[in-house]
Amino acid sequence: MLSLSQYSLIAGLLLVVLAVICYITALMLGRSVRPEPVMAHAGAHADGGGVATAVAPPPPNASGQPRSMALYGTYFTRLAWVFLTACLVLRTISTGHGPFTNQYEFAVSFAWGMIGAYVYFEHRYHVRTIALLILPIAAGMLLYALTVGATANPLVPALQNNLLLTIHVAVAIVAYGAFSVSFAAAVLYLTQPETGRPGWPKPALLDEMGYRAVIIGFPLLTMTVVLGAVWAEIAWGSYWSWDPKETASLLTWLIYGAYLHARVARGWVGRRAAWLLVVGFASVLLTFFGNLFFGGLHSYAK
Amino acid sequence: MSQDTRTRPPESGARELRDGLDGPDGGPSVSGADVLNRLWRFFISMRTGLWLILCLGLLSLAGTLLVQAPAGMTSDPATYASWVASIHSKYGGWTPVFDKLGFFSVFTSIWFKSITVLLTTSVLACSVNRAPRLWKLAFHPRMRMSETFFTHAPLRASVLVSAGTGEASDYVRQVLKSHRFRTIADSDQDGLSLYGDRFRWGPFGTVIAHLSFVVILVGFFLSATTGFKDPSFTAPVGQSVAVGHGTGLSVQAKSFSDVYYPDGSPKDYSSDLVLYKNGVAVQEQTVRVNHPMSRDGVTFYQSFFGEAASMKVTDAAGTTLYSQAVPLAFTSDDGTHSIGQFAMASKGLTVYVIGAASGKPDPNIQAGQMQLEIHQKGTTDPVATQVVNQGKATTILGVTYTFQRTRQFTGLIVAHDPGVNFVWVGSTLLVIGLFLVFFFPHRRIWVRIRKTSGGSEILAASTMKRDLAFKPQFNQLITDIQLAGTPSSTTQEAGQNDA
Repeated sequence: MLSLSQYSLIAGLLLVVLAVICYITALMLGRSVRPEPVMAHAGAHADGGGVATAVAPPPPNASGQPRSMALYGTYFTRLAWVFLTACLVLRTISTGHGPFTNQYEFAVSFAWGMIGAYVYFEHRYHVRTIALLILPIAAGMLLYALTVGATANPLVPALQNNLLLTIHVAVAIVAYGAFSVSFAAAVLYLTQPETGRPGWPKPALLDEMGYRAVIIGFPLLTMTVVLGAVWAEIAWGSYWSWDPKETASLLTWLIYGAYLHARVARGWVGRRAAWLLVVGFASVLLTFFGNLFFGGLHSYAK
Repeated sequence: MSQDTRTRPPESGARELRDGLDGPDGGPSVSGADVLNRLWRFFISMRTGLWLILCLGLLSLAGTLLVQAPAGMTSDPATYASWVASIHSKYGGWTPVFDKLGFFSVFTSIWFKSITVLLTTSVLACSVNRAPRLWKLAFHPRMRMSETFFTHAPLRASVLVSAGTGEASDYVRQVLKSHRFRTIADSDQDGLSLYGDRFRWGPFGTVIAHLSFVVILVGFFLSATTGFKDPSFTAPVGQSVAVGHGTGLSVQAKSFSDVYYPDGSPKDYSSDLVLYKNGVAVQEQTVRVNHPMSRDGVTFYQSFFGEAASMKVTDAAGTTLYSQAVPLAFTSDDGTHSIGQFAMASKGLTVYVIGAASGKPDPNIQAGQMQLEIHQKGTTDPVATQVVNQGKATTILGVTYTFQRTRQFTGLIVAHDPGVNFVWVGSTLLVIGLFLVFFFPHRRIWVRIRKTSGGSEILAASTMKRDLAFKPQFNQLITDIQLAGTPSSTTQEAGQNDA
């Protein structure tokens, strides 16, 4: 069962890489073929605001190539997500607990969350360009998981709380996935001039997308910290111990809290707010990889 | 977290306030009032809050990346100094700088505390400043909008119907009601004005979330200042140990067990505990990691375990001076020995009981042996050090010591924390508040119905500031109004820009 899970992981990784290749090809073909930026019309019934994409429907008389490449990219990404889901489910069945107890499991879950969040936001906003940032990070996570090794160790007593283990970490993974989308949107936002760049997603749309991702991620991150506090109170006898993992997640929480205020504060709207999303995601990664060098109470998750 | 989308920026709120204070005549401002006014404007400014959050973030970053002194260590200068020296290799010349700045105990530093207090003040000021406006928006909404609003709002539509104004008004209200909108009618000269909204309590989520932050901080403060926490409470198996702190509780461990996986990693630690209140057994429970026992607000957590040495000490007259199990709960700095300690106040003696740590054999202290190190009050060096054999009475300096046998002890964390409930209430409110703000945005629509030559014209308009998701719903509303009214012609526009 565990080896089947491992094969699913490898299949997922290969599909992510394929998807990235498709997207890059589509982008390059789209650049050379398309003379004008393509704007989907902001009609009365268009949902979720105007739609403008880089790797998006080409002009009617252009070659069908970029579009189909981008579509393949989407299909591969979704398939990759299915394989990763299979990997995690198989592992859960095999180990008897959620796949959240060591760096291997958490890295795969993190990548799963990122790809899932991407699939959702792509479906919702039709912005495929963010895949060029998210998918390589997800692929990196999966590669990292492969190097860490898939050994399933039995659970130490502190982790033997299936309910809280599952909710605490599952919620974190969805939050982190959402934050990766906001990170990608912010990077695309920051690498464009204020007025946008032909063929790229419009800054206003990226700003909206980054925000949408955070309003999903932030309450979930809050829940992660609260559930962590509940668990710490039960297992360690104290809801907050200033453990490095706790302080790192506090840092993440503060940065995204700052972002939410920045988005409505004079002088912060736009680029500065977008920078906070980049810093926020750096903090997410610090929280995730911190286990490797912090020590502390969470160090069993090495 | 401030996610209110309808109020003006704090700056404009401050201006409003100043106008109110100064009065229409203006006049020279009193400097005291001016200072207060500036202070108020400082605290209700979104940017103030933002900078405070970021400063707190920077401190948290320092506290995450730099090694933090173990709790309680700073209270003992000598221990702390040696600790700082031990990390000197890690930070080199920066060590004294970081130490001066309090970066080795960031979360108890004056910086962290001051910014937390400032942020709390800001949160309270913002909530006080904002709540009345939220109340007005929810319960006394503006009913009538200007003509330009209907021609310039980011979401707007115009529907021509053959029905009369009264009939048109009826089905507009019906459609709004079917979309779970509340409607309020306001008759005017031209025809009819309608206001509809949904989730009017949503924006209160921002007040709830901000105040919950304060509730959590109150919890942290109570945790730090009240109650007690004994992180190294030891109970040798079979021996009743008083909890103290005026609780009247005592604990007896009937048994302890540690179970391991085949690979040697721990699987389970559990203690069968009996709890006594004023000497009467009141509760019995197996306490294990993740399964603490609670009584009267005092909670017992399984934390550690080890070996205890049952000691019997008598004086020359045969009077028993001490007869208890001594938990060897401490480990020597090099990790090779387990150490316990007991005192006999009447003799002014403190005795250290030293055994080889498990897995660290010591040729001098073998199985079935303990080393006793006896200290006399007022002297620094031990007055005697001797290895004793199990079951064999040994007289040292006129006092007879017998190491009877070893038994296990269970190590518990015993805590009474009155702050914890505040933290849970605050956390729950925080999550509820955030979900309210983000997922129940206050959605408002204004409708004006006018009589035309062929029937009526229905004008609908709405703002959608930071709520792009309202757009499809608005469009659906208009479509439903069209369907209900069998319109003769329709124009509909939707803007992209915020109002």
